[in-house]
Amino acid sequence: MTVTRERFEQGMTYDEYKAQMTRNRDRLEENERTVELSTDDIEFFASLPEPLNVLVITEDWCGDAIANVPILGRLAAESGKLNLRIFLRDQNPDLMDQHLNRGVYRSIPVFAFFDQQFRPIGRWIERPAVITEMQEKMLANLYATDPAFADVAPGTSIAVLPDAPRARLMQAFAAFRAETRLLADREVVRELRELIGQWLATRQEA
Amino acid sequence: MDIDSGRHPPKIKIVYCASCGYEPQTLELVSALMHAFRYDIASIEIIPWQDGAFDVAVDGELIHSMYRDGGFPAPETIIRAVRERLAR
Repeated sequence: MTVTRERFEQGMTYDEYKAQMTRNRDRLEENERTVELSTDDIEFFASLPEPLNVLVITEDWCGDAIANVPILGRLAAESGKLNLRIFLRDQNPDLMDQHLNRGVYRSIPVFAFFDQQFRPIGRWIERPAVITEMQEKMLANLYATDPAFADVAPGTSIAVLPDAPRARLMQAFAAFRAETRLLADREVVRELRELIGQWLATRQEA
Repeated sequence: MDIDSGRHPPKIKIVYCASCGYEPQTLELVSALMHAFRYDIASIEIIPWQDGAFDVAVDGELIHSMYRDGGFPAPETIIRAVRERLAR
């Protein structure tokens, strides 16, 4: 997980990224406008001992990226301590392959944090862990209790799922996304603070 | 139903992750199937999904799954599966 200053500087600024988006810019900007950041969150980032470089890997078609990149954008704008450079996943495989989710998946967005000397601090990928866990539980509960899934094995491909359980699954996912939006936003910030907090603790010990 | 032979033309379902930008691979496969079979298939259903899915079923049998098999299927693989259905 390394990047040179020269390679980092080849990325787009957040505003440049937004300007070149071909889809979902309205959704991204709506999320940027409505994400609720506490004063404590802003102060945490604003009081960092040095500005951090944040390498962001994203694409404008990705739902998780449209939800989570603007949270980072707001934190950067309001704290003045995060120097973002944005790279498109499919045009930068050299960077993407350094940040595979569980070593396998090209999940985005990726937020990779570096200090002023480009020493790695840590990285955050895709979505908050608690949201992934809640989604898995929601699915398990649906399969266990909804009559539409009576004869359907968990994990059955949508391609071979009958119409009734498929419709229920789509409804359940839509409801889940709506119900967890605020929690998901808060968890993104909390996980980023935790990641940087660990670096701060290590730094103080050194 | 094929009037001459009594065969039921296959129904194809393609599930693609709509949040992953898999539209080009989906449309490439649809185009390949349309050109290969013209009237010999009953339908091609395209289902937008999430979580990195790219699955293809022919008459309810899962021919390709990105989770199970990895990656995208070669169009020839799906065409072969459809031809096998037509030959039964």
